[in-house]
Amino acid sequence: MLVFAASDKGGTGRSVTSANLAYQRALTGDHVAYVDFDFGSPTAAAVFDVPGAMRGTEERGLHSYLEGEVTEPARIDVWRQTEHPLLRARPNQSGRLVLFPGDVGGGEFATDEDALERCVDLLLQLNGEFDLIVVDLSAGRSYAVDLVLAATAHPRMRYVPFRWLVFHRWTRQHVIAASGLVHKENGILKGGVDRGHDEETLQGAIRFVRAAVPDPESPLWLHGSPAQAAWMQACDEALRRLAAEHRIGDSVVLGIVPLEPILQWREQLITEEDVLSTQIANKETLEALEEIARRLTDDSHWGRP
Amino acid sequence: MGPEETAARAVLACGEVRTCLLPAGQALDSRAAAQLLRLRADERVLVSERPNLYGRSPDTLTGVDCPLPSSNGARVRAVGTVAARAALTEGRVLQTSAYFRVPATGPDHRRPWGHYLVRPGVVEPFGKLPREAVAQGLLDGGGLGELDVGLIAGGLLTRLLRHPLLDQRPPLRSRPTRLRWVALPTQHGDGPSIERFTVAEDELRTVRLRVPEGTRSAEIAGLCDDLALHDWLLTTVVHILDGIRLGPGTPRARPLPGPAEGRPTVVQALRPAVDHLLHLWMPRARVSRELAPLWTALEEQPGFTRQWQALVQRIRDQLTLHAIPPASREVEPSP
Repeated sequence: MLVFAASDKGGTGRSVTSANLAYQRALTGDHVAYVDFDFGSPTAAAVFDVPGAMRGTEERGLHSYLEGEVTEPARIDVWRQTEHPLLRARPNQSGRLVLFPGDVGGGEFATDEDALERCVDLLLQLNGEFDLIVVDLSAGRSYAVDLVLAATAHPRMRYVPFRWLVFHRWTRQHVIAASGLVHKENGILKGGVDRGHDEETLQGAIRFVRAAVPDPESPLWLHGSPAQAAWMQACDEALRRLAAEHRIGDSVVLGIVPLEPILQWREQLITEEDVLSTQIANKETLEALEEIARRLTDDSHWGRP
Repeated sequence: MGPEETAARAVLACGEVRTCLLPAGQALDSRAAAQLLRLRADERVLVSERPNLYGRSPDTLTGVDCPLPSSNGARVRAVGTVAARAALTEGRVLQTSAYFRVPATGPDHRRPWGHYLVRPGVVEPFGKLPREAVAQGLLDGGGLGELDVGLIAGGLLTRLLRHPLLDQRPPLRSRPTRLRWVALPTQHGDGPSIERFTVAEDELRTVRLRVPEGTRSAEIAGLCDDLALHDWLLTTVVHILDGIRLGPGTPRARPLPGPAEGRPTVVQALRPAVDHLLHLWMPRARVSRELAPLWTALEEQPGFTRQWQALVQRIRDQLTLHAIPPASREVEPSP
């Protein structure tokens, strides 16, 4: 199963959340690949805490692979090469977790037929090797988005299942932008149909993830005044109405990640340890991530009985 | 005289084999296999059905003119052709194999291509070949711009995997492997031997061989294809068995959301091995008589077939256990 992580704007928590989803799936025993197609601003090395392993991959990343400069992109075994002390003790029965880094300093570039063929080669190879492939895409209607829309419409990919997650923050601007990324004239749906996708099928494969959502019930806001609480409630309701009007209402939301201080300050994986021992992360955040990770492959959340 | 004899005597042979599951829902029959492996219009695909279904493409040649890798930094430019071919076993396991051999010395200037074309699979060094350093360099893998026979094998594999015959629906998850080999001549007329067989990285194996002088490099490549195939089978079946969980598993500090399925049952996980892999084990099926003793050594240590039989037995035991109706089991064999 391929999962594409997209967002209209930067700063939506797309990379850090999708990396956490990959991590959660690997913990449950799946073999997971995390593919960094965030050309221009690769962040995965920081999230997985593999700065040392990144050295030497500068010219062998996905960017160089797609441009045909190397025949195989660099891969980093996260359990083995991470500098995060908790991750290094790979839990028993966990699956593989492999990062395919982007190149340092590789920007956007133009699509051509060869890059598309190589992209299809790579996705097929990963599909034969991993249970779940999370592809983190540059923000907006980027080259990366176009590339994977074309790749998934390619005849060789016809039997490879894929799903899209669109990440957005819980504000007016972000709700409108996320809807635009999918539904607007130059959005993912239109771009997909132009490349040969069936509109209804493609739309059925897109779900939204609301990130950094303040929960008025959360202990974080417990000490707010009654006026603040009422205001938050009203805002939340207004945003829900707005989202529904923009066709990204609750029925197409795969999950909600609560506002989490440690994700705001430092992009990282949230481990059970962070919640239970050091208690620097909230239990709700970890549970939300686990739940979204589970729903990725739960058909009942994708409109299939 | 064949080209093998006309070329200066080879003192080093080297190659790399890529092995992967054919990404197709059904194994290819012999006709489809021949179609897939038809790399050249002018030569036929070898297809044989005894003792198992096996197809092999004609050799393709790739011209090279670049430095050979060496472990001591010696820079040896070499020119010639690398041979590459593809093979499909039981319509299910696809291998590409690239190889060449090197004479002890070569001219110190580049000759016209015609000279190299009549010596397929021979790469000639400029001057004298520092054999040990180059053998080690080849096993370690070349740097950027140096001769990398794996690239040629990989390129051929990529080309084959794009073939429209393949529906890209592999029946099980598996990892491709690479096996890189060098062969040096034996001394004092000894028989062939394996000096070292290592699992260097997850997917990379390296083999260092001694073979009697005059052994054809295609035969050495054939032996290494056979090693790579069986090593891949072992690796793949071990991974399948690693992926099944017996019993309720380790309790977690917090319960996971939802039921813990999503994971295939034991029977679902083992079935592809039975359907697609277990009948493929047939060491030495196509290894020349001179090199067959090398397998005997591997059977003793580490004992390839011994491990395979234990794995097969384990799969059959698991399936038998799961065939017993739950009511008769005293303990649940799986979650």
